[in-house]
Amino acid sequence: MLVVVVRNAGRYLFGGALRNWLRNIGGTAPALGSMTLLLLLSGLVGLTGFAARNLAVTEAHDASLLHVYLRDDATSDQVDSLKARVQADHRVTSVGYTSKEQALARAQRRPGLPELVDATNSNPFPASLDVQVKQVGDVGAIDALVRYDVAVDPAYPTSYDRGAYQRIQQVLFFAALAGAAFLLLLGFVALTVTANSIRSAIHARRDEVTIMQLVGAPRWMVRGPFVIEGALTGGVAGLAAGIVTMLVCLALIAAGAGSFAQVAPGISVEVAVVAAILVFIVGIALGSGSSLFSLRRHLES
Amino acid sequence: MEDVHLSLDPGELVFLVGPSGAGKTTLLKLINREIRPTCGEVWVDGLPAHSMAASKVAELRRRVGVVFQDYKLLPRLTALENVAFALQVTDLRISDQEAEDRALDALEAVGLGDRGDAFPYQLSGGQQQRIAVARAVVSQPPLLIADEPTGNLDVETAWQITDLLEDIASFGTTVLVATHNVEIVKRMQRRVLTLVDGRLVRDQPAGRVGRLAWAAWS
Repeated sequence: MLVVVVRNAGRYLFGGALRNWLRNIGGTAPALGSMTLLLLLSGLVGLTGFAARNLAVTEAHDASLLHVYLRDDATSDQVDSLKARVQADHRVTSVGYTSKEQALARAQRRPGLPELVDATNSNPFPASLDVQVKQVGDVGAIDALVRYDVAVDPAYPTSYDRGAYQRIQQVLFFAALAGAAFLLLLGFVALTVTANSIRSAIHARRDEVTIMQLVGAPRWMVRGPFVIEGALTGGVAGLAAGIVTMLVCLALIAAGAGSFAQVAPGISVEVAVVAAILVFIVGIALGSGSSLFSLRRHLES
Repeated sequence: MEDVHLSLDPGELVFLVGPSGAGKTTLLKLINREIRPTCGEVWVDGLPAHSMAASKVAELRRRVGVVFQDYKLLPRLTALENVAFALQVTDLRISDQEAEDRALDALEAVGLGDRGDAFPYQLSGGQQQRIAVARAVVSQPPLLIADEPTGNLDVETAWQITDLLEDIASFGTTVLVATHNVEIVKRMQRRVLTLVDGRLVRDQPAGRVGRLAWAAWS
């Protein structure tokens, strides 16, 4: 009995949907195209958002880490005194020390800087106290506390840049807003086009639908094939967009290597694969969702 | 429709007559819940068609076979497949073999047992209407409604279809036929319901040849 039910459901729901989808592929093409474009852009915008979020987290961490640059001729007593004074402040979490050698080694790991380092015979990087401040808002106060100390380099005392973090946050906020608005617009277009293609499918099969309704086929049996057709459209669009999204990511990871990691932190092969799978799933959901929307409007029993 | 009170008994063959626009098709649609009454009640085999939720309408329609003037056969399916399709989409538990056997039985009952492999375009109007009748009765519904089933047929074929509907009624199925065919209504001498302007103006019992004044207006 179960085998018969599964076979019949498969034939009328999935087989019928696939047959009709293939037959109506010409009518479905615009929906397929717009949905693929939407999903591809969604995938890329999503990845950009993910990278931007990682960047914001890194920036927030960096913004609360104040580098206090020391004079090359500062004595160890002067440095220890400054370090003790900063450590005693209740707004400070921790204070580390980076020697000139460590600063040089760190700089040599950053893209572009090794060439700069090689161009000079001396070590141009100062030693520093690395002060981790509890609240980003208190970094300015700590900067004011230390910048005139005798151990501190008067030419370039600290890494403090007033308002830098807020500027980054602002840029990210407006970028996210613009991305969301763009995706909403594209989503509306894709939903409308898909819903219209399903309406055309309903119209093309109105006799079959009428007969199914009149002989007493259950609603899910009448509507199911159209939902599956929509899911097929969304699935194919999602698959294409997912593959392209992944390929774009892999190409950027491979080509950009070190510099890319700086621009889009957190984007890895695993993230690209997950993004592709998500795009595929969203495609199926979008296709079946717009079908349901169209069915509710055009196939009332 | 207004002021229409009637009930149909099992095995009755009833003609529904009246001029165009009288409400014949509307009444059939109310019975099959293609439209919902704004007031009043429609009961079909114990089910309240007037108040059923849309999700339950399929249950009602499985108890009502429907025949149309334009047959409404699926052109891509053979005669046998058209009939089997109606069976299987309403009950997924029916196997291919069972569906084929029952569809073949229904086709034989309407005299087309040897045309199961034919597509609708390969059949005459009368044969297509027979297949539509076979499809309507294959699941043995207690009620069969037919909207102008002979409207597209010549006189001889119209009589064949009418005889077929009479046979179906004789097996216990209630058959309600909306028609303009005065000749058939007069000669069959079955119960006749006359609708004019949405009102049931006459309910003439079987065995009598009543006045058919409406025919003059149609």
